[in-house]
Amino acid sequence: MDRRTFVKRTCVGAALFLGGMDALAYDDEVKIPPPPPIDVREAPLAKRSPLGMPGLYPGRVVELSDHRSIAGNRVSQPIVRQMLERGMRELTGESSARAAWAKFVEPKDVVGIKINPSGAPACCSSPELVREIINAVQSAGVPARNIVVYDRFGYEMDMGGYQVLMPPGIRVLGVQDDRLDASGYDAEIYCQADFFGEWETRSYMASVVARQVDKIINVPTLKDHSASGVTGCLKNVGYGTFNNVARSHRAPFSFTNPLIGVMCSVEPLRSKTVLNIMDGTRMVWHGGPLTQNQSFIYQAGILLVSTDPVATDTIELDLIEKKRQTEGAPSVWERNPKSITSNNGEFYQDANKNLFYRQPGHIAVAGKLGLGESDLKKIDHRQLLMG
Amino acid sequence: MSKETAAFAATSPAETEWVTLLQDNTRAGGQGAPPIAPPSRARWQARIGGSIRSAPVLHGSTLYAASLLGKLHAIDVETGREKWNFAAPKQIYSTPSRFQEKVLFGCDDGKVYAVHQDSGTKLWEASTGGEVWASPVVRQGTAYFGSADGHLYAADARTGKLRWKQALGGRVYSTAYAAERSIYVGCGDGHAHSLNAATGKMQWSVLTGNGIDSSPALVGGTLLFGSEDFFVYALDANSGAVLWKYETGLGISSSPAVADDVAYIGSKDGFLYALAVKTGELKWKTRAGEVITAPPVFSEGVVYVQSWGTLALDAATGKLLWRAGPGGSVQGAPVIAEGVVYVAGNGGEVYALE
Repeated sequence: MDRRTFVKRTCVGAALFLGGMDALAYDDEVKIPPPPPIDVREAPLAKRSPLGMPGLYPGRVVELSDHRSIAGNRVSQPIVRQMLERGMRELTGESSARAAWAKFVEPKDVVGIKINPSGAPACCSSPELVREIINAVQSAGVPARNIVVYDRFGYEMDMGGYQVLMPPGIRVLGVQDDRLDASGYDAEIYCQADFFGEWETRSYMASVVARQVDKIINVPTLKDHSASGVTGCLKNVGYGTFNNVARSHRAPFSFTNPLIGVMCSVEPLRSKTVLNIMDGTRMVWHGGPLTQNQSFIYQAGILLVSTDPVATDTIELDLIEKKRQTEGAPSVWERNPKSITSNNGEFYQDANKNLFYRQPGHIAVAGKLGLGESDLKKIDHRQLLMG
Repeated sequence: MSKETAAFAATSPAETEWVTLLQDNTRAGGQGAPPIAPPSRARWQARIGGSIRSAPVLHGSTLYAASLLGKLHAIDVETGREKWNFAAPKQIYSTPSRFQEKVLFGCDDGKVYAVHQDSGTKLWEASTGGEVWASPVVRQGTAYFGSADGHLYAADARTGKLRWKQALGGRVYSTAYAAERSIYVGCGDGHAHSLNAATGKMQWSVLTGNGIDSSPALVGGTLLFGSEDFFVYALDANSGAVLWKYETGLGISSSPAVADDVAYIGSKDGFLYALAVKTGELKWKTRAGEVITAPPVFSEGVVYVQSWGTLALDAATGKLLWRAGPGGSVQGAPVIAEGVVYVAGNGGEVYALE
């Protein structure tokens, strides 16, 4: 199926999503250009899976908080296990964690666990949490050989030590070995757009997503992002599935909105992503996604569990905004040209500076694409304090 | 120095023999080589294609480097030109090792290969059930190597025939330390193990707080390694008793290089640490980058480590002596020989700096 008709409709709608082009002009000097059309070619799909985004529980987000989950920068696997089990029961209404997991994965499934290693080692999907997710998936009857822990960049996974820290029997996969390696991508599924006159205008879907896994458990981190505002469920599974995505932002402008949402809507990614478990044991409130500066990494001790990536990212955005406010940093919606720097060193040391005009509006746009609920007032936000 | 260590160190190779990770199995890492002056130029630069995540090794006039494109390259150290290459079926993360006329390395297809050092002709292969990232270590004719299938293997280094294998419980990416009677290795489930070298029988196991990627070093009856639980450990090699442990700021996948009763090891917190082997006392620590995962190399009063570049530090004080830009590898250790530093990078380049 070629969805060019749909995509043209999406792109006309970009102005709608963003509140009209006038809203993009912030003062006389700064005018953020409108996003270009995005063509999408995606996999044929007979029927969209009810498990796919926004999943079985649209608008519901379970937030679990336990200060014991991280101490001295070390994540406690036993505490994370308790949080995960409680979160899954709360999300599904099941009395046991095993029954809760059985709603999402079956023994015959090949299950992909999409981690975020991009801030490793300072802030990445905790291996302790990933190990507990593996245990839970296995408890639902999925054999180890059918579990794949993956991300786009093998060298970032190296930095997080995932290969050695995962149990034997499962696959640990970096889709590409360096920036130019395209061998792990499917040439038939792509998003195409010319953002800045780049030579390659297509971004292809990872083959492991397109052809190998049946279900995806998305494990993002709780982190700000210099271009998109935050990097949560949507960006982790969208930009973490397609290659050649850094071209969507060229300082100081960013087209992460609407590209992140559009990518998440592409099949089969949308249907296969059945669950989001956001690792908020650490929160990066400035310098994301790559900072190693511990001054901007807060040991928050929370997990967010949901099938709805939009609702989860909306909560994430709210948490980061509150933390930035507490720290005296400007909002991620900041549009003052004086906040922009082209000096990476300055950005990594000063929370008042940023490289791009961030685009946290990508979350609401993903909501308009049907991927979930972005209205904070409508989100069923269940907060559980565990310790 | 223990009896086992003394016997082993006596077999240390000449300066142009860099047979495995950190030069040889004593893990001294270049001890004996004269210090290198700040390099002023690259004698040559070779692009072999494919990211290089392991360390090169040296034999005479040939440097061996493996890439994630699955090729082992033999490079002429005078010209940088390739002599031959051997194509394995999958990626190679393993640092090669030399034994007699063979070059041994592990591969993501689950096998260890032995090829002829002069031609690249395959001599034998040995199978495991998972990727082999560790470097095969040869001692007394036996090659020891761990696998992601959770086992440590011992094979005849001349034929590849399996002698024994032992289940360890987690992935084994740590390169084993082969002493005369015991094999020491770290495991992804957090255990450090001692096994009987002849039979594979477990002698002792010690649990740390997280997985062990670091490759252990043995000196004076003390076993040294780092853990992803942020600590550097010193264990009694005979009993496994913890003699001391030293806390760094983040996890450790770097491996110790030991010289003059000081252990040098990097941490993911970006610091290189110098610790007294006997007590764990901190001699110095120096920030060498944002993250260090590579093992350092020691050479006559200078410690070299790679972290987005090659750094040379005064071993007595930790003071930075020089830094060379090429060699973006964060995983590999440099080879130092005859006034030249050989480094391999994530971008697939190999440099000879002089």
